[in-house]
Amino acid sequence: MKSIVSEKKKLPETKRQFCSFQLADHSFGVDILDVKEIIDEVTLTKIHHAPPEMLGFVNIRGHVHLVLDLRLLLNFPSKPIDESSRVLLFHPNVGESFGVMVDQIGHMIEVEDSMIEYRIADENVSGIAREFRKTELEKGVCKLTNKLLIILDATKFLSAVELKR
Amino acid sequence: MKRTSIATKIILLSCGIALLLMVMGCFLIAQYQVKLLSHVAESQIDVKENRFMSRFYTEKEEMRDQLDKLINHVSKLMNSVDVIYEQTFQFQVQNLLMHPMIIAVEFCDKDGRPFISSWKSKGEIKIGAQTPDEINLSQFPFIKKHTNIPAIEIIQVFYTTKPLEEKLFFLKNVEIVDIRQTQISIYSKLRNLFLTQSLGSCLIVFLLGLSLILSLRRTVLNPIQELMIISRQLKDQDLSVDIRSKSYSHELELLVEALAQLLDGFRQIIADVKENAYLLSNSADSITDIAEELTTHSEEAESKSNNVAEASVQISANIHSIANSVEQISDNIETVSSTSDYLFNNINSVANSIEELSSSLTHVGERAQNGTKIAEQAVLLAQKAGKTVNSLRHAADEIGGVSEFIQRIAHKTNILSLNATIEAASAGSAGRGFSVVAAAIQEFAEQSSRAAKDITDRIVGVQKGTSEIEAAFNDVSTIIRQMNESSESISFAVIEQTKAVQEIANNALEADERARNINISIDELSRTANDAADNTAQVALGANDVSTRIQGVSESISFNRQISHQINETAIVLNHLSGNLKFMIDPFKVKPSTNITENKSTSEEKQI
Repeated sequence: MKSIVSEKKKLPETKRQFCSFQLADHSFGVDILDVKEIIDEVTLTKIHHAPPEMLGFVNIRGHVHLVLDLRLLLNFPSKPIDESSRVLLFHPNVGESFGVMVDQIGHMIEVEDSMIEYRIADENVSGIAREFRKTELEKGVCKLTNKLLIILDATKFLSAVELKR
Repeated sequence: MKRTSIATKIILLSCGIALLLMVMGCFLIAQYQVKLLSHVAESQIDVKENRFMSRFYTEKEEMRDQLDKLINHVSKLMNSVDVIYEQTFQFQVQNLLMHPMIIAVEFCDKDGRPFISSWKSKGEIKIGAQTPDEINLSQFPFIKKHTNIPAIEIIQVFYTTKPLEEKLFFLKNVEIVDIRQTQISIYSKLRNLFLTQSLGSCLIVFLLGLSLILSLRRTVLNPIQELMIISRQLKDQDLSVDIRSKSYSHELELLVEALAQLLDGFRQIIADVKENAYLLSNSADSITDIAEELTTHSEEAESKSNNVAEASVQISANIHSIANSVEQISDNIETVSSTSDYLFNNINSVANSIEELSSSLTHVGERAQNGTKIAEQAVLLAQKAGKTVNSLRHAADEIGGVSEFIQRIAHKTNILSLNATIEAASAGSAGRGFSVVAAAIQEFAEQSSRAAKDITDRIVGVQKGTSEIEAAFNDVSTIIRQMNESSESISFAVIEQTKAVQEIANNALEADERARNINISIDELSRTANDAADNTAQVALGANDVSTRIQGVSESISFNRQISHQINETAIVLNHLSGNLKFMIDPFKVKPSTNITENKSTSEEKQI
């Protein structure tokens, strides 16, 4: 949330950029400023005793990153890695160095801020409901010309893994 | 009466034998009993004798002892007296001689000579110096005794055992007489027993004979008598007797059964013979009829043969007309000869055309070989084209690999552009220009990817086309090969045909020659036809001969008729014979013929 606030400060312009991708024929997007890199060829090292959402470690230029299965996080059925599978690596400011596995990468989308409808966080909700909110991965919806792009909050991915357990 | 004589013979013989055996048995038993009895009596007498002897001996011993004691007593008495007086002496002697058995007493001195003796003589006791010789003492037993009495050395006592012996002998005799008497009484009883036994055995034999007569009459004679009656009936040739129904003893029943079976068989045979005789007479009748018919037929044949003779005369006339037609035939043959000339010309033209055919066939063969060569070349070309197409497919595959490579590069470029965009975004407003470049790169990457995909699709099309071409070439080459094979076979066939045509040509030439020969031979034929005309005239002569022969046949047929007359006569004789047979068999009385036929029918049914 902090980062987003800072980004808002950084980008006073109304334009915003998203990195779009496909998951089980659904279009999702994350803020491009959270994304560090897209990797196409990945060699995963499986972590035993880890939750199924953790696919494994990947070594990129000497740095080790954790890879999560976004499908499982979004309650889709798991799918083996194929030719079009890609890994989105996030900036360290999003969380400890990690990435997510997506089915297919899409374009970089630049939209007016006005086209985005953010989910309004209800401050009055407390207790278990608040905890539940924490798991909400979606931040809002971006209206495109022919479809809707669901914008996910990359900062909540790791905590979602923890909460799922 | 023979049967009774047989019975009486049997009975008398058996009874006589039984009687003889029984009498002999009785006699033997009686003899044995008599012998036994006499033996028992003898043994009894022996026993008596022995007892008598032993008793006599013991009595003798006793008497001797008694005498001994007496003598001792006398000697003691005499010894006790100091002086012996004559009276005492006499008294003692008298005392001794009182004993009835003692006959004499002698007193002897040392030398053994008697000095005083006393003896019994006619119931008186006499004393003397010596015993008189008339009493022969040596025949009596004696006891010699030495005494202590002075002057008397030895006392000799003579005694007799006669009375004792006589007494015992008398007793013995009485007993023996008793035994003899009992024996005689037993003898008489045995005689009575023998008499009664013989009488009883006679009675038994009589009873046995009676029972035998009765049983024989019942069990054997009655059935035999019945059998005799049956046999008498059989003797009278009456076979309709039934002997099965009665029941006899086992052996007789078997005999009767066998006889009945024999009779049945005989009855059946007679019935068959009867029937056959009847059939035989019938057939003899029919033979006579047939013979008569034969006679009539032979008469007919005779008349017909006469007709034939007439016909043969006609035939000879016909043969003359045949001779005329043969002459006509010789004319016709001449026309044939002209036709054969024409044929000869035709065959010549055929031979010429066949030669032409042969030359054209050789031309066809050359063409066919040419076709084979062309087909081989086509095959080679098709193979070459196939190779080219194969290399084309390889090239297409390579292009496919290249296009894949291009696609990969496009993907990489896409990712690169995305990363560039990300970097540009993170650079903020400073990276704005770069982000445009990145977007352009991304577009370029997408285009190149699309082009690569396009190329891949096209190449796949090309590959499919080449494979189709390859298949088509394969088909073409196989077709060409087939063409090649067929053209080869054509050329072979043409060669064969050429050979065949050559042969045909040869044959045509030969036919040409043959036609010429035919011409010649037809000339000869016309000549021989003329000869034939002459020969037919000769045949006419032969026909006349035939008609004469046929007359001979008619004569032989009349001879046949005579023979058939003879057959008729013999058939009549046969008929008589069969009648005789029937007459001979008729006396055999078989059960009514209906019964037999019924039996036959039932047996036939059983067989069916």
